[in-house]
Amino acid sequence: MTTMTPAPVKAPTPSRLGSLASRSRKRLEGTGWQRLALVTGAYLASLIVFGAIAAQQGANPFTVLHAMLSSSIFGGGSLDQTLLHAIPITLAALAVAIPARAGLVNVGGEGQLIVGAIAATGIGVDIGASVPGPVSWIAMIAGGALAGAVWAGLAGLLRIRLGVNEAVTTLLLNFVANDILLYLTYQPWKDPNGLGQPESKPLAIQAQLPLIFGSQLNIGIIITVVLVLVVWWAVKHTGWGFAIKVTGGNQEAARRSGLKVRSLMLSAMLAGGALAGIGGALNLAGVETQLRPDITLTFGYVAFLASFLARHEPLKTALAALLFSAIALSGNGLQLSTGLDGTITDILLGLIVLAPLVMTKREGAT
Amino acid sequence: MNGLEETMIGGIEGGTAILLPALGELIGERAGVINLGTEGCMLVGALSAFAAASVTGSVVIGILAGLAGGAVCGLLHAWLTVIRRADQLASGLVIWFLALGVTSVYGANYISATAPTLAIINVPGLSKIPWVGPILFEHDALVYTGYLLVAVIWFVFYRTQLGLVLRATGERPEVVAAAGRRPAVIQIAAVTIGAALSGLGGAQLSIGYVGNWFNDMTSGYGFVAVAVVLFATWKPVRVLGGAYLFGMALAATSVLQAHGVSVNQYLLDAAPYLITLIALVTVGRRGSASAPEALSRALARTG
Repeated sequence: MTTMTPAPVKAPTPSRLGSLASRSRKRLEGTGWQRLALVTGAYLASLIVFGAIAAQQGANPFTVLHAMLSSSIFGGGSLDQTLLHAIPITLAALAVAIPARAGLVNVGGEGQLIVGAIAATGIGVDIGASVPGPVSWIAMIAGGALAGAVWAGLAGLLRIRLGVNEAVTTLLLNFVANDILLYLTYQPWKDPNGLGQPESKPLAIQAQLPLIFGSQLNIGIIITVVLVLVVWWAVKHTGWGFAIKVTGGNQEAARRSGLKVRSLMLSAMLAGGALAGIGGALNLAGVETQLRPDITLTFGYVAFLASFLARHEPLKTALAALLFSAIALSGNGLQLSTGLDGTITDILLGLIVLAPLVMTKREGAT
Repeated sequence: MNGLEETMIGGIEGGTAILLPALGELIGERAGVINLGTEGCMLVGALSAFAAASVTGSVVIGILAGLAGGAVCGLLHAWLTVIRRADQLASGLVIWFLALGVTSVYGANYISATAPTLAIINVPGLSKIPWVGPILFEHDALVYTGYLLVAVIWFVFYRTQLGLVLRATGERPEVVAAAGRRPAVIQIAAVTIGAALSGLGGAQLSIGYVGNWFNDMTSGYGFVAVAVVLFATWKPVRVLGGAYLFGMALAATSVLQAHGVSVNQYLLDAAPYLITLIALVTVGRRGSASAPEALSRALARTG
């Protein structure tokens, strides 16, 4: 005989919604210290595997490490370069993180960076020489944001209106964006004075982002830091941030508590796309100064992994993006001083994301 | 020979390097696992095949090495996604980056090497059929393997118990488990076999269609293969059509240029992706509904 006790009915409070929103990921067991030791161990293991591959190729692992560190952090101006490369990676990573919090998968950082750079080039080359610098900077950034938002918003709209999987559409749109980039740089936008290279006309000097006194950094880095903080504040401390988190955690619960799930999902996609678009614009206006093929160098995919590694937490995502930027740059030094192909650093990047994939196991059916 | 025939021949030859990985991806996705690392598995297969053929002088060993290289790559993805239950998209991208790095390091010695390549075999009788013969039956062995595999996969999917269990695993693994089968084993096998076919697709490039090895030589074919599976709404015969269509779009560019026709190459290159997008939109909910259910669930729970 069992006695039935009615389950106590509670009104959905923010904390209850919050627990619904938390993902069913089994964290590493053990205390904080044990966890830290495990994670450190996993990263050391990645480094050791990487060193072993380098050694097997006939390079001294310590020379390799030294070359990598000096071309990404310690060498003259190399830290500046790492920070500059981190701008598009960080912003494209936030473009993954915000939709991910709303339960959406944005694999389109690459395409959103590209359309941002295209928009910035179009605007910058057109008006850059005739208006004061700040006007063209703002116009290029706004154009980049708009282009990125449209590119991501397209996938978002298809998802909320037709139920087409956004992971798939964002991926496909990357290739479309890349073909547009190639078309523009090889044909209509090709610089007639460019020695036959597929490059657009360069931005006028005044339209390029100004350098920060005494460094190779430009004001793009300040804009990026501000945006990271704004995103952190928006997702952690605003009603919108909470609402998208609830939507991402449990759509049904979100809908029943009166949230406009579709608009929230679309807004997360638009915000993400705008950020990546700004990343593309800042990279163009501050570093590249003219459009060319390969302008993104798979940064968009690296960004996906950075956000994934940081579990879509904005501040950690920015740090992961910085780390990946350093790894990507360290390939240059390797190539020069050890003769190894620079793409060997892709192995290190893969291993670093592999480590947590191996170490955490999620619950739930396959 | 006119431009249309050239485009179709090139489309089938190059399309095979899309068809083989797409069929592999189809098997994996039908079991509920997407592999964005298909591009990486193709690279590994392309290098393994080229290196083995170069060292041994045998294309047969090259083909086997391509299959094996792809399978190793698939085992890693299967271990991560099925056993460790890692995020499928992230695992795929990790595999792509690892493959880019590993093949650039170990492929450096083979960039200027030579290897025997697949011979063109004219199918007796069939290749004599006017017009159709030269287009369909004057190719290398891997092209014919592609034809056969479509038939074999269709048969296994829809006419055998194994196929039923595989498809059920992609829809409702818990039902398969309740019926006394082990969905994890089926998924691991499906992903590994699928990636082996990606490796074979890489081999079709390195010791077939292209005939040498260079870094990142698959240049997006693996991602196109993933797109083809979606375009085909997870049906084997449509995968064949999609792969050749995409192959022809890629081949048309060079053919048109050779004939002095001015064509916008990049618009043509973008066409396969746009067609896939439009197909996804027009099929809309119906298309998404035909996606294996476990796959949709896996894609929705990234994090």
